[in-house]
Amino acid sequence: MEGGRAAGLTRRSILAASAAGAGLVAAGGPALGATLTAGEILNRMKQNVGGPWRDGGVDHFTVGGPDTAVRGIATVMMCTFDALKDALKAGCNMVISHEPTYWSHPDRLDDIKDDPLYKIKLDYVTRNNMAVFHFHDHWHGLRPIDGIHVGEAAQLGWTRYMHKDNPRFYTLPSMTLLDMAKHIQSALAVRTMRIIGDPAMAVSKMYASYGNFGGISGAAILDGPDCDVMVIGEAQDWDLPMYVQDTMAAGNKRAFIMIGHDKSEQWGMKYCAEWLSGFIREIPCKYVPIIEPYWNPEKPVMEINTKI
Amino acid sequence: MADIRIAQAAPAAGRGAAPAAPPPAGFGRGPAHTGPVPALEFITRLHQRSGAPTRPQTLDRVVAGDVTADVTGIACMALATFDGLKAAAAAGRNLVIVLEDTWWSDNDDLQRLEGNSTYKAKRDFIRAHNLVVARFGDHIADMKPNPIAMGMAQQLGWENYAADKNDPVRFNVPSTTLQALAQSLGRTLGSRTLRAVGDPNLPVSKIGVIWGNADQLPSIRLLNTDIDTLLVGYTHEWEAVMYCQDQVAVGMKKSLISLGQAAGEQAGMKYFATWLKTIIDEVPVGYIPLAEPYWNLSQPVNLVSTKI
Repeated sequence: MEGGRAAGLTRRSILAASAAGAGLVAAGGPALGATLTAGEILNRMKQNVGGPWRDGGVDHFTVGGPDTAVRGIATVMMCTFDALKDALKAGCNMVISHEPTYWSHPDRLDDIKDDPLYKIKLDYVTRNNMAVFHFHDHWHGLRPIDGIHVGEAAQLGWTRYMHKDNPRFYTLPSMTLLDMAKHIQSALAVRTMRIIGDPAMAVSKMYASYGNFGGISGAAILDGPDCDVMVIGEAQDWDLPMYVQDTMAAGNKRAFIMIGHDKSEQWGMKYCAEWLSGFIREIPCKYVPIIEPYWNPEKPVMEINTKI
Repeated sequence: MADIRIAQAAPAAGRGAAPAAPPPAGFGRGPAHTGPVPALEFITRLHQRSGAPTRPQTLDRVVAGDVTADVTGIACMALATFDGLKAAAAAGRNLVIVLEDTWWSDNDDLQRLEGNSTYKAKRDFIRAHNLVVARFGDHIADMKPNPIAMGMAQQLGWENYAADKNDPVRFNVPSTTLQALAQSLGRTLGSRTLRAVGDPNLPVSKIGVIWGNADQLPSIRLLNTDIDTLLVGYTHEWEAVMYCQDQVAVGMKKSLISLGQAAGEQAGMKYFATWLKTIIDEVPVGYIPLAEPYWNLSQPVNLVSTKI
């Protein structure tokens, strides 16, 4: 379903791009040494999200700007320092990141202008002629379905179980909570997922809210008839997870899986690279996986590259 | 539902009172023959004797129950989970002093819980057992010494490693590795799913802590001091977690451990209960530890009680 739609948009957008005189459209894939400006890339993104582009919100260039010459695009879940390094390694100097660059949702700089790490990061991106676009609100706003949800569902192999009227709800073949957790951990390549509920409980009605999710909205869904397991990215222990615990303590059969923020949304950014490739043919669009920040004491790992 | 703000209930005389100051007439311990003590009297005494100046704006208030109820005993806990309330009722302690919320949001907002069945079940349980729940977290944070910091240091056996024994938030512990520290914290604090960021083999001796929720800027500032590791209850993954990961990615010897909200502060309520006994001896006073709601695939065991 999503594939057909994306292909349709692709053809239209290429025509639009040609008509606009962008030129350089090569039927056979990216031309060697080709560049596009970051501004042209953003214009095409605006034409392809399928809905209005709204000012306000957090979507903006956190590094570089419309004039930056781009030779490759990397899509990442969060613009960590690791992601910047991996993007360059993949030949990409533009990063399209779902989450911030500067450690707060709006990439607020007021309080960190003198921060030593901020200076190092800024120096690194400037030296390497990079552009970073924070692509949060409008990727969630992708029509007809939130881009993060498209990618996560595909990675889970559960696209066909999504409800047509509300893609956050899934009706899955019945399985135990433990089996569901095992599938999610393995399909999404998660290390430090956390679960609340009876491992033997049968679950089939899933509500997914990838990324951060708050307690009060979650409470209404868990209190309704359409959700026996809620799968989210991140929440504060004292709101939604506490509600889940309490609704279980009230005798309701409910379960909860908290994937971790990064891994809960990163597959949506894998889809973002596919989506971009549909209307940006001149330069490569690559998905760069995020490094999950955490490990649990029983399985310590060190994946972070410490060389700059 | 009673909704009496402690700040309003407490007379202005309590403002700025030193811990050792004698209670004003009428708010001290009543003669034994006056009979059972209502919750409001204990809450007022607590407010006055804590030495914490009354905050003009606070989340602290009576969040559930009838403050005229006679108190049979006092239970101190980190979050007023349904499980925690059941344990308090089973122990015959109907006044619950809590550090965090009861109704699944920072400000115990009931507006959007209209008709929620878990809300009703918890409220009915509170009524049926004549419980009174008073949130006191803001003022506990203002007590000197801070009971949470003192209790956590005591629980970890770190009192002698504290840079300031009366404000134990920086420690110089015997050198260990990040992994060994994480394992030891998991055991001591009862956290099965704690998560660490950084090199497992990093030598660690200088430790900074923000018990409970760690906001972005205080966390970043602390990570920029000479500490090797930052311990928090919870911090957003797109803020301090990402910041620490980026520090590691530029070669800085830093790490972070996210303990879970209850595990990362509740031993402080044990210390607080011990202090509370020094001002209340009419009824039993005790601490109720909360079981961790989460499990992961290494230990798929549910600890949340599902029986009312």
